[in-house]
Amino acid sequence: MKHEVTERAGTTVVAFAGDVDLQNSPQARKVLLEAVAGEHPVLVDLSGVDYIDSSGVASLVEALQTARKRDLGFALVAVSESALRVFQLAHLDKVFTIHGTLDDAFADNR
Amino acid sequence: MTGQSNAMDSFADGEERITDHLELLATMGRDFAASLDIDKTLARAVARITGHLDAAGGALFLLDEAGETLRCHACCGATEITGMTLAADAGIVGRCVQNNVGEVVHDTTDDPGFNPGVDAQTGYTTRSILCAPMSVQDQRIGAIELINKRSGDALFTDDDLHVLQTLASSAALAILNARMAEALVEQERVRRELELAAEIQRSLLPEPGDDSFPVHGVNVPARTVSGDFYDFFALADGRICFNLGDVSGKGMNAALLMAKTASLYRCLGKTVPEPGRLLAVLNDEIAETATRGMFVTMVAGVYDPATGSVRLANAGHEPPLFHGRDDTFTAVPAGAPPLGISPSPVPGVPLPENELNLDGGALYVFTDGVTEGFVDGGDTLEVGGLKALIREHGSATIPVRLAAVIDRITRGDTTLRDDLTILAIDDGREAENRPVGNETSSEDGGEVLLALTVPAQAGRLKQVRGAVAEAMSRCPCDAQTARDLVLAVDEACQNVIRHAYRDEAQGEIVLEIRCEPGRLIFRIRDFAPPIDTGRVRPRDLDDVRPGGLGTHLIREVMDEVAYSAPPGGGNLLRMVKRMP
Repeated sequence: MKHEVTERAGTTVVAFAGDVDLQNSPQARKVLLEAVAGEHPVLVDLSGVDYIDSSGVASLVEALQTARKRDLGFALVAVSESALRVFQLAHLDKVFTIHGTLDDAFADNR
Repeated sequence: MTGQSNAMDSFADGEERITDHLELLATMGRDFAASLDIDKTLARAVARITGHLDAAGGALFLLDEAGETLRCHACCGATEITGMTLAADAGIVGRCVQNNVGEVVHDTTDDPGFNPGVDAQTGYTTRSILCAPMSVQDQRIGAIELINKRSGDALFTDDDLHVLQTLASSAALAILNARMAEALVEQERVRRELELAAEIQRSLLPEPGDDSFPVHGVNVPARTVSGDFYDFFALADGRICFNLGDVSGKGMNAALLMAKTASLYRCLGKTVPEPGRLLAVLNDEIAETATRGMFVTMVAGVYDPATGSVRLANAGHEPPLFHGRDDTFTAVPAGAPPLGISPSPVPGVPLPENELNLDGGALYVFTDGVTEGFVDGGDTLEVGGLKALIREHGSATIPVRLAAVIDRITRGDTTLRDDLTILAIDDGREAENRPVGNETSSEDGGEVLLALTVPAQAGRLKQVRGAVAEAMSRCPCDAQTARDLVLAVDEACQNVIRHAYRDEAQGEIVLEIRCEPGRLIFRIRDFAPPIDTGRVRPRDLDDVRPGGLGTHLIREVMDEVAYSAPPGGGNLLRMVKRMP
């Protein structure tokens, strides 16, 4: 798993790529919690994520809950079909705001 | 002589009048007793009194409930003032009611208390007034007022006042009786409505199954209606959904919220057979509309008679008691606050769930009315008393066991302090019918698609996923199902790494996938110390360890999930996916 954190138009964009599984989720969790500890809304770009498991989903839930508590925006972007399936199985697909692309996400927030 | 004769005349006359008074009193009494319509009877009484005392007019005033207004309920003679209202202290009649003393006013122009307003309205001239209050003990009801004596010197006498006072007392009593009768009728109406409400409430409780059905419940309301409820029903796949709840407070408002919550459960329970998610939906629904800080504590669960497993979510309710086959008791504590207190911070996130395997034991869910109910001697039953009763009647059928608990409390607590509700899920009979052999490898036949032994390390999971995906490509299942199965096996291996081997990165996982006609069988074996599958295993989304959510994902994907202790030690997880 790789990750990249960038700033765009006052928003923190966290992009993951590869598999977010038990081996990598502690790292993903750390990155996500750092992002939602900041002052900007957070977009999580999952376009490069082929596989995510319960530990990855749990990290995203924890980040979402932290963001809500701090009144920060938190949304997912470009969730692949296979990753979306895991959210559906966990009944968490309605819990997250999910945008099709990064550009959509910025357009929706305007 | 003449004087004496006059006196005699006067005496005879007086005697005759007294007889007349008694006659009138008796007539009025009969009239009141036989009357169904108090207003008509009062009008007749006023006419009789007015005629009897030879006044030009008479009126009966009643004080309203607040004691602020006098209203003319009946009148006769000189003027028609029925319906007229006066301040409670206005005029002679007001003074008479306030002081609760009868009055004779010979000349109204001499009396500063006289209210000329009425004459101004009617155009009539009131010269003299006779007024007697109607009261029973200290309760003021109103007054009867007569105006303008017609005979003799046109002046009312003290005798007239005595007569009027007697008649007024009789009328007062009749009015009070009529009011009490009315209140009784109203009370009866409310009681009947409560009984109808109770009947509807009882209809919300499930029909009792026969003795062999594993789930039974009892509800005894403390009052006519109850704030407690329970329900259970079987799903098409044989699993049984059950719930038990307790609405804060007692009485009608609690009963209405109970009806709402029970109906929501009935309605949603069949489509949302995951207790944690169901309670989250109920919470948001109740929090949105609940008033006056009312809330609901509730336990919801799903029991699978085929495996003995129970999934349970507890929103602020008394911990259910699990009575194991080894005669130990385990309390399953609440994992979330009561429903309706506040909407979930993140809507849609399920409440935490507990999972346990009854393995021939029984689970008891109950309200605090049971543990706080008085038993003989004035003590409360408490959890200890409940355990003792369950032990004492352990060999009886579930309905008999529950009846014993209820009987113990209803016998000691003559007026129940709180509603009593208890629900039991008994796995005893089901466990006897359950095949015990499904953990032995010989049972599973078919073609071996994959046999893989890997070190129990997170870094090896990618390899496992690749191997499972490759094996799935060799069996007739679609791409989506294949991905789901890869996820389920990954999650199962994670559980082994995290919970069986406790992240110690030593030990192995043995994975075997077989393909039988119509189903795929996954067997995941480890060699760690046995995990107690009967033990309560929490699933909490706030707790971000993967185990709980992973188990949930496994169950979403697989059709059968069972843990066992294989010969030679370790743990064996057997999962079955049915194929079309």
